[in-house]
Amino acid sequence: MLTYWWQVYRANLRASWAMMAQYRMVVLIWALWGFVGPLVSLAVWTATASARGGPVGQGGASFSTADFAAYFLLFMIYGHITMSWDVFEFAYRVRSGSLSPKLLRPLHPIHEDAASNIGFKLFTTTLLIPIWAAIYLMLRPSPPTSYWWIPASLPSLALAAVMRYVLQYVLAILSFWTTRIDAVNQLYFTLDSFLSGRVAPLALLPGGMAAAAQATPFRYMGSFPVEVALGKLTPQQVLTGMAVQIVWLAAALLLLRWAWRAGVRQYSAAGA
Amino acid sequence: MACQISLEKLSKTYRVTERSAGAAAAFHSLFHRTYKEVHAVRDISFTLDEGEVVGFLGPNGAGKTTTLKMLAGLLHPSAGTAQVLGHTPWRREHAYLRQISLVMGNRNQLLWDIPAMDSFLVNQAVYRIPEAEFRRTVDELVELLDLSELLRKPVRNLSLGERMKCELAASLLHSPRVLFLDEPTLGVDLTMQGRIRAFVAEHNRRTGATVLLTSHYMADVTALCKRVIVIHHGTMLFDGGLDDLAQRIAPYKLVKIDVESPEAAARAAVFGNVVEVDGVRVTLQTPKAEAAATVGRLLAELPVVDLTVEDPPIEQVIGQVFAAEAGETPQAC
Repeated sequence: MLTYWWQVYRANLRASWAMMAQYRMVVLIWALWGFVGPLVSLAVWTATASARGGPVGQGGASFSTADFAAYFLLFMIYGHITMSWDVFEFAYRVRSGSLSPKLLRPLHPIHEDAASNIGFKLFTTTLLIPIWAAIYLMLRPSPPTSYWWIPASLPSLALAAVMRYVLQYVLAILSFWTTRIDAVNQLYFTLDSFLSGRVAPLALLPGGMAAAAQATPFRYMGSFPVEVALGKLTPQQVLTGMAVQIVWLAAALLLLRWAWRAGVRQYSAAGA
Repeated sequence: MACQISLEKLSKTYRVTERSAGAAAAFHSLFHRTYKEVHAVRDISFTLDEGEVVGFLGPNGAGKTTTLKMLAGLLHPSAGTAQVLGHTPWRREHAYLRQISLVMGNRNQLLWDIPAMDSFLVNQAVYRIPEAEFRRTVDELVELLDLSELLRKPVRNLSLGERMKCELAASLLHSPRVLFLDEPTLGVDLTMQGRIRAFVAEHNRRTGATVLLTSHYMADVTALCKRVIVIHHGTMLFDGGLDDLAQRIAPYKLVKIDVESPEAAARAAVFGNVVEVDGVRVTLQTPKAEAAATVGRLLAELPVVDLTVEDPPIEQVIGQVFAAEAGETPQAC
């Protein structure tokens, strides 16, 4: 069985690389697009810290210019690894009917899409490493409390990537019911920007928003692995956070299963 | 032979929104939607045996593609049952999907930006085709469809006909036991149509796959199908041999004569229903039972230079079926 999945993912990875090789520049531009959010946030917060003439925030939740640089650089890298864009692709397939040939295969289309997502990241990460290194040298971010926190953050990063992917796919599946999913996705993206820590570290958010961030899945798909990598959390907090990630992931998978079945039924009732 | 496809009173009704044109109607529809039921397929029943190649005919909007999509598992029916290879298609079990293929002339399964061979390799993994079998099948398909020059080019650079050949090949890599072909020669030139037809016939002969084919090109049907099912307005009108269709729906012969002068051609009308006059050539339509007597009278009373008796072309027969409303045709099954 494992051999089967290995072969399926390998074949789809090859195909996705072949497609990306056809459009190298477009792929690179897409990859660079992920820089925009964290760089803008970094510029704003660095300016704020400079204007105040010292760290922003209080106590353990205070950020100096170098702390902001470390946070947003890691957010940029981890954000690239967890990014997902299936909503646009999927909605187009439903609208145009090009989903039908995929439904005729004895394989859930999510596997082909997930392989393409992994392929994109493997392809672009090699191109982005020198750019990330250059940004690191320019910004001189503050180091983590221990460099061991970086490998320790990888399991939470993997969970964040899978969580984000599955939830984006659930959102994509809504295209079965509405052909204009863009508005829903825009709302999701706005909430995600604030509550995942992309706009500001969650410790700096006002009380109500910080509490909302804890209660929603966004933090666990965004800033949580970054916080782990920077050594801002205790081992107990890391383990609790990963348990929360697993619970959210299980809920997202159940939702995916239900939404897919209902969605395909809707699609096939309306005229595939 | 074992029955592989069986439908019992299969129906599909779509519920579609309806509104008049204009801004006022658009505003009104925000608060009050009007729905209309469209009966795409009504109470269709038939069976297909293993290895049969059957033509599924009907004009645009008759319900052919809807039926094929239900049988391939893409659509849920509104009523009725169907079994294909012992499976209920719309459950879409992987064990079922591995044994069928649906080729749609207006849909692509091949990845657009890369060579078809890359899509073939993805299909090899998805359908679990062993390496040796995959190589053998690809070699056969390359030979039969003349694909050697095409498999390394990006699909987007292929002509429509070339792409359709690659689509067909991709659909057959896993050797499906049942093949649904929906307009496989749509938009393809005559030479390519002939090639695709010959290929489907050869594939059926070699593998014994059951084929249900829709096409607007009667040449596809006459070349491949001994049996046809005719559907119109979602209702089945005929199920039987292609020869029977002509016999039952159009029980007449066409008598074509060349006479010595246009004046003689003008006198031909008294011998039967004149279908066409072209100078000294006249085509008459006469009931089958009276064909021999009509020929005798023509030879005796007109200066006939040449004479042939033919069955009406199948296009004409089908056209007659489509022109008639459901239930009013000479032979409904």
